[in-house]
Amino acid sequence: MNYDYSKKEFELFIELYQTVSAYSAEHPMDSGGDECRKNIQAAMKQLGQTPYLKLAIADIDGFYGTTTLMGAMEAVAAVSPSLYLSAEYSVRVLGRAIARWGNETLKKTFLDPLLSGESLGALALCEETVNVDNDPLATIGERRDGGVVLNGRKQFVVNAPVASVVGVVGLLDDKPALFLVETGAPGMTIDDTPGDALGYKGVAISGLHLRNCVVQEDRVIQCGPKENMTAILRLYENQVLMGASIGLAKASFEAARDYAKNHRTGGKPIIAYQEIGFKLSEMLTLYQASQLLAIRAAWTFENKPKEAGDLSLCAKVFCAESASQVAGEAMKILGSSAYFGANPVERAYCCARYGEVFGTSTELSRVKIGDAALGVKA
Amino acid sequence: MDFAFTKEQEMFKKEIIRFAKKEIVPRVQEFDLNKAFDFESFRKLGDFGILGLHFPESYGGGGADVTTTVMAGEALGEAGVDGGLTLAYGAHSFLCADTIFKHGTEAQRKKYIPKLCSGEWIGCMGLTEPDAGSDVASMKTTAEKKGDKYVLNGSKIFITNAPIANVSVVYAKTDPDAKHMGISAFLVEKDTPGYTCGEPLIKMGVRTSQTSEQFFSNCEIPAENLLGNEGEGFNMSLQTVEWDRSALLAPFVGVSTYMLKRCTEYAKKRVQFGRSIGEFQATKRKLANIRIFGEAARSLIYRIAWCKDQGRPLNHLEAAVAKLFVGDWSVGPANDAMLVHGGYGYCHEYDMERIFRDSRLAPIGGGTSDIQKMIISKLM
Repeated sequence: MNYDYSKKEFELFIELYQTVSAYSAEHPMDSGGDECRKNIQAAMKQLGQTPYLKLAIADIDGFYGTTTLMGAMEAVAAVSPSLYLSAEYSVRVLGRAIARWGNETLKKTFLDPLLSGESLGALALCEETVNVDNDPLATIGERRDGGVVLNGRKQFVVNAPVASVVGVVGLLDDKPALFLVETGAPGMTIDDTPGDALGYKGVAISGLHLRNCVVQEDRVIQCGPKENMTAILRLYENQVLMGASIGLAKASFEAARDYAKNHRTGGKPIIAYQEIGFKLSEMLTLYQASQLLAIRAAWTFENKPKEAGDLSLCAKVFCAESASQVAGEAMKILGSSAYFGANPVERAYCCARYGEVFGTSTELSRVKIGDAALGVKA
Repeated sequence: MDFAFTKEQEMFKKEIIRFAKKEIVPRVQEFDLNKAFDFESFRKLGDFGILGLHFPESYGGGGADVTTTVMAGEALGEAGVDGGLTLAYGAHSFLCADTIFKHGTEAQRKKYIPKLCSGEWIGCMGLTEPDAGSDVASMKTTAEKKGDKYVLNGSKIFITNAPIANVSVVYAKTDPDAKHMGISAFLVEKDTPGYTCGEPLIKMGVRTSQTSEQFFSNCEIPAENLLGNEGEGFNMSLQTVEWDRSALLAPFVGVSTYMLKRCTEYAKKRVQFGRSIGEFQATKRKLANIRIFGEAARSLIYRIAWCKDQGRPLNHLEAAVAKLFVGDWSVGPANDAMLVHGGYGYCHEYDMERIFRDSRLAPIGGGTSDIQKMIISKLM
């Protein structure tokens, strides 16, 4: 047993926090618009110079896969949620899928540029019913003339408007498959970005249409019979949202704590009032509890994969709901300072809801956790 | 980071669960109903080695590390042992015996620790007073040195195990003007003239533990019954906090696993509207809430245990976070577990009612949740 990260891991977290902080101070990434998107793409190249994008994908001496990754995720998400989400869906969701199931050619063609930060990727999983767990995938590939013709409709695809490659999840021969479609491929059209999102304003998110989109057969990935591709992709996505949640909780808590120490009323800092001090105590408790649970879930994923599914859902629900709660309480502590104008608390307040809604939603997660307790097979 | 337990620890946990289910759990409901202490079960805890688990073998203990000791507490909860017995165990082994072991002379250790490890003797700790709860410095019980004796006067309240204890670690002021640094700790044995206990208090939960007042009226004890030196009592009481925040909380985590198991068994059997209630999403949601709480709490508690095993000084902020989380967040899952059982959950026939009552102690005992928030807000 060991509840500490190593010195090397801590140094990486600090480096990431400082690198992203310094960059975002000069180059806004979370306020929305084309400038943010460009800044995110440039920041990806900077992250590509660090071990961050390769964590849990490539073996790096002194780092321990998803366990190290969770600490790194927290550091980046706390500073720039939009950069974080773009980076993570690119490398940790699509990238990990290619690393896990792709051949060497696909890795060289598609994975390497993602890991260097030279390009962004997207994973198109969500369909009209949003939840692919209850309904079969409606995006279908058909073999035709030595290629695969793809038809379907996806929505809420993170990075879709800016990605150089989209991993489209659909069915081929009635089995789940990942179709790697390059931007500009005939038959794939990217929707306009829907109106202003509540949070993650710097991230380009949109739907896409596939109308007789031809994909070469060697760009179609399928997994072995013992693996459930969509479940694994959901797990990757849930890990990303866990990392986001603890980063948002950290940012909200620290901003509220610092404000409460410095903002004075009645002749004393507001942290000296029990109503504020106690609120901060509850926020810190939720933050620390979710941080530890997220790391344990990540460790379990690496070391006891059979136990990881349920535990990850528990962690995802707890982290996402805690982040919303912590951000909500932080908003009250900062008062009008948080409500008006861009600041970490307002940003976290808006972004935290994403974690509850996307991936396996907290509602569906609870049903699945309940099913697991009852011994109901998925 | 590494969250793995050793194979030996995991086997030991299974063994405790097996033992407790067979030897203790069958009597839990009866003793709770009668508000009676289960001496037989307590003695069996001693025979099994749980009461003295973390003490050296040379004193009759098991020589286990803190993590294993915490795991034993979790296992008792997971087996279905009631909060009264686990509280009695905690007060006995950690608040009393551990204080004696840490601060006592070799003679005191030899006299008390083996008997406390075996369960032959029962121990308790007298700290709280009617007007001095978390505000320890305002305690009024005094210990005046007269020749080779100390004379104790005052009273204590809410003392777990007091009516059944053979020995009590009692905190009293040797220097009433010195606030915290005027507090000293003493060993007071039952039947000492001038020492009496009140009738067991009628409590909402943890009913099998016996809790009462302690009264000291010109109670004379030998001077060698002083633990450590005069004025060291406050720091001794603080050191018990490490156990308060790990081993004493562990049964609550174990109970969450027990609740989940009982609830799933019930939800599968109970049929309404032509299907088992486990098929309803509202039931699954409650089961999920119980599981999520248990998983979150487990990490916090074992972190405290692991740090103690590393010999690190207690991180009071992390300890208060663990206590606050278990205290305030355990009540919801206990309520959910009762609700899954519906009317049966409200009745004593099913033990969810007892567990709900027992869980209400978590935000109160060993430093209330408000005190934890005070500590956290000062340290952050």
